[in-house]
Amino acid sequence: MTRAFHVFLLGLLGAAIVHLAILVLLPVLSERDAWARLAARGDLLRPVRLGPTETDSPVPLDDPFLGGAACRFDLHDHGVLHVTAGSGPPFWSVSIHDRRGYNLASFNDRTVVGGRLDVAVATSAQMADLRRDLPDALARSIFVEVDDPQGIVILRALRPDPTWEPVVETFLASFACRARLP
Amino acid sequence: MMRLVLSVALVFVLSIGGGAATVRYALDHLAALEGLTIGPWIAFPDRGSPDADPYSKARFSRKAELPLGPSEGLAFVAGVDSAGAALRRDCSYRIEGKAPAARFWTLHPSAESGTPPEPQAMRWPGLHSMQILRREDDSFEVTASPRPHPGNWLVTGGEGPLSLVFTLYDAPTIRNLDAARVDLPLIYRAGCE
Repeated sequence: MTRAFHVFLLGLLGAAIVHLAILVLLPVLSERDAWARLAARGDLLRPVRLGPTETDSPVPLDDPFLGGAACRFDLHDHGVLHVTAGSGPPFWSVSIHDRRGYNLASFNDRTVVGGRLDVAVATSAQMADLRRDLPDALARSIFVEVDDPQGIVILRALRPDPTWEPVVETFLASFACRARLP
Repeated sequence: MMRLVLSVALVFVLSIGGGAATVRYALDHLAALEGLTIGPWIAFPDRGSPDADPYSKARFSRKAELPLGPSEGLAFVAGVDSAGAALRRDCSYRIEGKAPAARFWTLHPSAESGTPPEPQAMRWPGLHSMQILRREDDSFEVTASPRPHPGNWLVTGGEGPLSLVFTLYDAPTIRNLDAARVDLPLIYRAGCE
């Protein structure tokens, strides 16, 4: 009887350990995350188009009224990231995610100066270099400092009805992720 | 000897089986714990943020989604009506009330619930705040139905369960508000076919 009790108690303890281990490891070991799906569609810095769930989009954008594009970056690989786009749609927003997909920063067309997308992403070390010598191209940019050198930038744009499609297409085609030294 | 081996084996089975089963259960069924619930609507303001709890993070990693950030918006999902009955694609619903302060909002049936009807080229399956008719007090009434309706008609149709997604864009205050102080539209069942 005591033996059965011991087995049960040990099993319970083991279950708790396994529970916690799976919980912590799941995000780390996930192989079908957004980064992996986007990597299958394009190299670093190359924008990939995203659409609503029905279309063949690597990452689902659930809302039928929003079109989007995303690019992956690796700051250790190519240096400071500079993200720009034109203008046109009645609403757009951009968010910066880390390698795991967690949201680090987000902006929309009314939270940036002049309503134009101009964001630079850098690590702390690159940020220190930039402060010493700021390139002209980044003079008007919003800076985002990140810990994880890898990540994803995603741009969403509103198309209120099908007549807006060409405007939003042009806007998303103007979405550019460039590497800037240092 | 045999009894010892059996006991050890039983401990392992209990640990691995119990651990895996409880994680699975927690991730599938305890979603409401982290959510912001307002009537039938539920949103996950912390989903996809680095500050989320380990359960949200694990749940998040199972789906390759990149949720909206604080400056972008917040999506509310309803799988039940205001009376608590599950939403169905073959039923009609009246969605009535006011929307919280936001630049605009969109309302659409989630493509992941049930079997949606064939998409139509010139019409997207949804409504947004710039195209609907309102009453004098700024409230609105939307009829979600497989059949055409006068006024604001949200096309549903298809088969199986339905869930509605109500997304508020550029609504930075919604995440900090007390759930009790935010009003979202109510969902009433108007009849089934």
